[in-house]
Amino acid sequence: MAASVRYLLKPWTPSVCFVRWSRYNPYYLDPDPSKVAVPESELSLEEKELQELKTVSPIKAALSSDTSSAFSDPLISKFINMMMQDGNKILARGIMTQTLENIKRRQVEKYHKSPAAKREEVVCNPYAIFHQALENCKPIIGLASVQKGGKFYQVPVPLTDNRRRFLAMKWLITECRDNKHRRTHMYEKLSQELLAALTNEGSVVKRKHDLHKMAEANRAYAHYRWW
Amino acid sequence: MSGSAIQEKVARLLSRQNGKPAMKAVKPLALKNEVANRKPKKGEATCVTEMTFLMACWKQNDFNNALCSKEVSSFYTCIEKVQTKAKGQQGTQGRLLPKEANTLLKRFPNLASEI
Repeated sequence: MAASVRYLLKPWTPSVCFVRWSRYNPYYLDPDPSKVAVPESELSLEEKELQELKTVSPIKAALSSDTSSAFSDPLISKFINMMMQDGNKILARGIMTQTLENIKRRQVEKYHKSPAAKREEVVCNPYAIFHQALENCKPIIGLASVQKGGKFYQVPVPLTDNRRRFLAMKWLITECRDNKHRRTHMYEKLSQELLAALTNEGSVVKRKHDLHKMAEANRAYAHYRWW
Repeated sequence: MSGSAIQEKVARLLSRQNGKPAMKAVKPLALKNEVANRKPKKGEATCVTEMTFLMACWKQNDFNNALCSKEVSSFYTCIEKVQTKAKGQQGTQGRLLPKEANTLLKRFPNLASEI
């Protein structure tokens, strides 16, 4: 009887270790793959508390895409995951690197061809271009279907940051897959769309503007929301 | 009302002593170890004024977001305020949330029969 009761006194540790994705208890912390160790004196009070918490709480298993490399970018990783089909991460990542290379090549060509006065304005960093283009593609207001009096109305509604980022990425990918010439490579189509989005042109930004116009047209129904 | 007083009243309602019984016990006359879910209160549309300003600005400037940056930022601040307020307000009204009450009752239930 003592043996059966003893398990109640031991601190609970999982008998099976977690692998990749699964449903974790909310107190599990995310893994931090950075190799940089900040000295004690430079940490603020909150960061010190976080370090204390990390010594005692359990941590989720790291994904195979977690790297401590300086070149890893969470936004680019998210975009690669969204582009991936049938789990072919290698292909998706290859397309992404080709896209960034293509953007860099075009911008460097533009840089060398432009006169000395205009050279300062040409952005050559493909990561910065990707971030700015995605910002330009994000919608500000979305539409939600709300039922009132038996009929469904499209009500303008504020969107969360995650939803906006998702919509921008989804539009980019679908526009490049569906509405372009079939003989062009995905990386060419993507780089064209991104460079157009940088200057607020192109079909993705047009789609965003269409959504805004619909929301503006339906602004009378804004009071049908209850949240 | 004490427990024994309730039991006596229930016994009187079920008994045949004074004509036919006033109550028929179809389900067991005991509380369940569960609490019903509360309907969330229907609020009002938030940030409507900011939205109308933003839309007016869009109408003027042909949906150019660069020229409407002030309205856009005020809209975002309004949304953030609403979100933080909604998060803070959830469980602090004084009463226990139905989910929390159900978890506690599952761990410490009212025993209906002897074990």
